Amino acid sequence: MMKWEYFIYFALPAILLWLLGAYNAWIKEDKKKPTIYTIAGLIVFFMFIVGMWISLERPPLRTMGETRLWYSFFLPVAGLVTYKRWGFKWIMTFSTILSLVFIIINIAKPDIHNKTLMPALQSPWFSPHVIIYMFSYAILGAATIVALYYLVKRKQLEAQENNLLNMADNLVYIGISLITIAMFMGALWAKQAWGHYWSWDPKETWAAATWLCYLIYIHYRLHAKPVAKTAMIMLLVAFISLQMCWWGVNYLPSAQGRSVHVYSKQ
Amino acid sequence: MPDKKKIWEHPWGYAEGFVIAMGVLLVGFALQIFVGNIHTQVYRYPVNLLIGVIFTTGLFFLYFSAKNNKIIYWFATVKATVPALIVSVALIIIMGITPQFSGAMAEHKGAHKLFSIWGWHNMTTSWTFVFLCFYMLFIIGITILKRTRQPFKTQDIGFYLNHIGIYVALLGGMLGSADLQRMKMTVEQGNVEWRATADDGKIYELPVAVQLDTFKIEEYPPKIVIINSNTGKVQPEKRPETYLFYGTGKTAHLAGYTIQLLEYLPQAGVVQDSLNFRYAPFIMDGAASAIKIRVSGADVTTPIEGWISNGSYMFPYHVVDINKNHSVAMAMPEVKKYVSQVSVFTKKGHSKKANIEVNKPLSVENWMIYQLSYDEEKGKYATTSVFELVKDPYLGVVYTGILMLMAGSVFLFMTGAKNKHV
Repeated sequence: MMKWEYFIYFALPAILLWLLGAYNAWIKEDKKKPTIYTIAGLIVFFMFIVGMWISLERPPLRTMGETRLWYSFFLPVAGLVTYKRWGFKWIMTFSTILSLVFIIINIAKPDIHNKTLMPALQSPWFSPHVIIYMFSYAILGAATIVALYYLVKRKQLEAQENNLLNMADNLVYIGISLITIAMFMGALWAKQAWGHYWSWDPKETWAAATWLCYLIYIHYRLHAKPVAKTAMIMLLVAFISLQMCWWGVNYLPSAQGRSVHVYSKQ
Repeated sequence: MPDKKKIWEHPWGYAEGFVIAMGVLLVGFALQIFVGNIHTQVYRYPVNLLIGVIFTTGLFFLYFSAKNNKIIYWFATVKATVPALIVSVALIIIMGITPQFSGAMAEHKGAHKLFSIWGWHNMTTSWTFVFLCFYMLFIIGITILKRTRQPFKTQDIGFYLNHIGIYVALLGGMLGSADLQRMKMTVEQGNVEWRATADDGKIYELPVAVQLDTFKIEEYPPKIVIINSNTGKVQPEKRPETYLFYGTGKTAHLAGYTIQLLEYLPQAGVVQDSLNFRYAPFIMDGAASAIKIRVSGADVTTPIEGWISNGSYMFPYHVVDINKNHSVAMAMPEVKKYVSQVSVFTKKGHSKKANIEVNKPLSVENWMIYQLSYDEEKGKYATTSVFELVKDPYLGVVYTGILMLMAGSVFLFMTGAKNKHV
């Protein structure tokens, strides 16, 4: 039986493999080794998720810690995909570090896990809604890394600049299309479970804000001469809104005892 | 170097975009202060339908009569879109921070005068919000119309799906909200009910009657916890631990104590005489569940044996005290599933039998019947079920928009940023 206590035994090897992959991306021109290491890490990490799934007898998607689990898994996936597609050596290092942050939170502040799943969550919409959301969060996390990299290194970029902005655009397009799909899946599910497709519950409100923030970025970048720095700052703001939507909302006065989206409390 | 363009000098840019969006905002605020919140009843059918039709045909009319008008065209550029979106996000963020109250209740605890004067506690029915939505719809509408002037390309499918989708969903959802009816109905097992209570507390007679044939609750197994005997808080307080019971003969480790699970009575009653307190099987409504345990730990000299029970409406709960501060308790089990078996009758003479549970509503004519709640005091012995009945005549419109948006997103996902269009 898989237990949350065993997490570290899966997380550590996974992190090591991801770091090996990231390191190889720096020193090797050939993408084969970094890819193999990263995928090996992903397999190890996913074994834990599957193990939890089986022993909890429900998809591990209910608590904050469980969603962080998926997020730490999807970040290296997003890193690997962008590395393979655009070849930036540094992206996997950062996606691994970001993933590590969420793994450390999960080890230091583990949630209480049990098998119970309240009736509202017992729906075929549950897994696709949350998994697609977590994957899009990871993709947009990668876009945030690009934005930060740009803002820090902006003066030394030169030829790289266009490629970098292009990468940010592509990540946002993929991220926002997934967010849109997951959000409206949530709407269709809400109609089934709560009677209305959109209730402006605090989580929904922040989801709308996040969605619009990325739409601002997309539309701004459509303009013939967008200022790259402004666009990258927009990405940072959008990511803050995304974090608010994901977990920050639990700490807001607007959600106290009012949000129907809070499932992690006992 | 050319002179810097003055504001309102063509071509308009972001500055004009912000001024106009802020203008919309200010007009909204002014109306909010002088008129107060919008009452949704005002635009019930057919008013909402009229507004939707007039607004949409108005857009067509404006666009085609003002062809080549610089200002109208400007609204279809990102210079208008981006500021409008930024102002909308600002408003939505305010809404995400401010507690929201449903429009029906006028006075609320936690409402702050400073916020309510702008309509921020009832954002979706405030003039500012509605005005901004219409301004967004205006921009989206003009943008769609302007795009039709270009020769059609396959890549445009994504654009049309997304933009028409959001136009349809937003307009339909906003105007349709006036005709949305949500009511609560409480039915006792064996009874028929056709009256329901709306949000404003008024009772209505509905064209649908619900007879509750049986009501069933399934619970998860009981949970065992260590509590602070004085405060009742689950221990350790920083990270409360619970143990989900799944059979006797097992051992639970909680908050530093070892708890052996000796005997389990899913349906138990208290047997008490002057010397003894114990549980015995009690196969009747009102039975509690009870577990016999043996506790040991570093500060427990001899293991303590006793019964824990979460009680029921007939029996009090029971804990085993470990020391002055700690006790072993059985927490209320979580509910796994609750189902109402109902027979539904309509005024038109239809009737059907069905099971209603959370996530599985029943659709009858124009109404959807949801399992909302039950008599929680009685827990698993509840015989009263609470339903919510919802009628949303514009659901089809909104769903059309939502499905277009989802299809548009699939398209966007496949084409990505290659499809960028200036």
